[in-house]
Amino acid sequence: MIEVRGLTKRFGGVLAVDGLDFDVEPGKVTGFLGPNGAGKSTTMRMMLGLDRPSSGTALIKGRPFAAFAEPLREVGALLDPVAVHSGRSGRNHLRVAARTNGIPFRRVEQVIEQVGLEGAARRRIRTYSLGMRQRLGIAAALLGDPGVVMFDEPINGLDVDGVLWIRALLRRLADEGRTVLVSSHLMSEMQQTADRLVVIGRGRLIADTTTDDLIRGLGQRQVRVRTSDPESFLTALERHGLAAERIDADELQVQDSTAADVGDLAHASRIPLHHLSEVEQSLEEAYLGLTGASVEYGGRAAEPSHATTGSSS
Amino acid sequence: MRVQPTTPVLSAPAETISTARLLARTGAAEWVRLWTVRTPWWFLAAAAAFMVGLGAALGLEAAADPASLQGEPAWQTAQSLAVPAQFALITLALTAVTSDYATGGIVPTLQWTPRRSVLYAARTLTAVAAATGLGVLLAFASAVAAFATAGSALVLPLDGGLDLAATTAFVFATGAGLAVGLGFLLRNTAAALVTVFLLLLLLPVVLPQLGYPWLATTADFLPGTGMLQLLLGGVGYQGISEASAVITLLAWSAGALLLGWLRLRSGR
Repeated sequence: MIEVRGLTKRFGGVLAVDGLDFDVEPGKVTGFLGPNGAGKSTTMRMMLGLDRPSSGTALIKGRPFAAFAEPLREVGALLDPVAVHSGRSGRNHLRVAARTNGIPFRRVEQVIEQVGLEGAARRRIRTYSLGMRQRLGIAAALLGDPGVVMFDEPINGLDVDGVLWIRALLRRLADEGRTVLVSSHLMSEMQQTADRLVVIGRGRLIADTTTDDLIRGLGQRQVRVRTSDPESFLTALERHGLAAERIDADELQVQDSTAADVGDLAHASRIPLHHLSEVEQSLEEAYLGLTGASVEYGGRAAEPSHATTGSSS
Repeated sequence: MRVQPTTPVLSAPAETISTARLLARTGAAEWVRLWTVRTPWWFLAAAAAFMVGLGAALGLEAAADPASLQGEPAWQTAQSLAVPAQFALITLALTAVTSDYATGGIVPTLQWTPRRSVLYAARTLTAVAAATGLGVLLAFASAVAAFATAGSALVLPLDGGLDLAATTAFVFATGAGLAVGLGFLLRNTAAALVTVFLLLLLLPVVLPQLGYPWLATTADFLPGTGMLQLLLGGVGYQGISEASAVITLLAWSAGALLLGWLRLRSGR
């Protein structure tokens, strides 16, 4: 269990994390989402005692991370797979970690096998691909068989086989009752992997909900209808207190309702319907809807350059 | 795709671990960390080649002109060679600290040992002990090499050996302590190395040559002056008293270590 309460981090005049409150529960994969610069990594660093919060707390099993004498037995974390001494072999990297927490070296061999690095364990890390470094970092995180695991963008650099592997690993870890927190910018991946989502933007909590609820628009279900008499149906919807908008000549989108209710209303109003469906958002759409105003670094659509085309008005 | 089952221990309540045991574990990990990359081996090889090789060469030189050094102790030869050779071992100790910042390895390091004072003590003790122990061993090896090649031109009295051990151990330990402290403080190999060179070698030698009494006085308070006094006092170097040299080296080393500890404690 991870409990974050009023967590705030200020770097000079910049408020990187602004009063975050959320829990990460055991037995579930919790996705940690947010645009670039939203404060995900800073939050995870504060959870691990790497950055000191300006205010607030991040407790793991009720204690600050720095209070653990054998942290690898409590929390396994992978923040940056490149942040290792590349001149050391993978096996020796793990042996250093094992020594610090009194973990026997035979466990090193187990995790090497578990992440599939048997053939590379003797090689120096500088010869590893990014995907292999991810696997090494995950091996270090699993070394102490911890009840809490935190991975920052663990999919980066992995091939398809690796993605499938980590997806299954995350599910298995959660099914074993562990607390699993995974940050990712890959919404489709989170849609397949995460049970819950914590979404932040500009350091503030935007949503803390289940993946299903987020896809359904946080409870604001939408219904799309096509009818030959949209004007009359708009009037009928408004009379029954339902907000709707016209999205095409003969198509309406009704907010916060169900297909059954809208269908019944059309039937009662004697308005023929040609199409009736509940809108299923992708996680990307739901996420963009939530974080659209919270993007720290946004791009602009490219426009044709008059200078390069030579035409001017 | 293969996902092997993890063994679901899910953290039984951890036993209470004493700080001493934690320090011993972390020190053991630091020892593994130090010697599982190539860089320290290169520094050790350089120091060994310099001290033992030049010790043997100086012994041969004495053998060729036995009249000039007749009856001189070989220990002093080793002590003189320790002046330049110490920089290889001091750099070994320094990079034990700064390489973790250069590579980003400090992130997993602090995840594995979040108690920063424990990490600091373990890393400092390991690096200083390695530089000091190897320095003393190489000084002995250098003296023995000089004695072995000098024929009867040099002697090797036991009490001189004890003096050599004490002096080189103190000089290497305080020099390595200064370097480790600066490493934690500056977190940059080049910056810390330049500072160590300035404080231990260049400024103590150059400042008195500039002709200003106040610069010469300033040089007396630098750690390099103390180091030169302790290692070369037996061959005529006259800077400050031995007591002042000891105090100066201790003060600089302790000051740098204190500042390095405060920097690590203050957060990353």
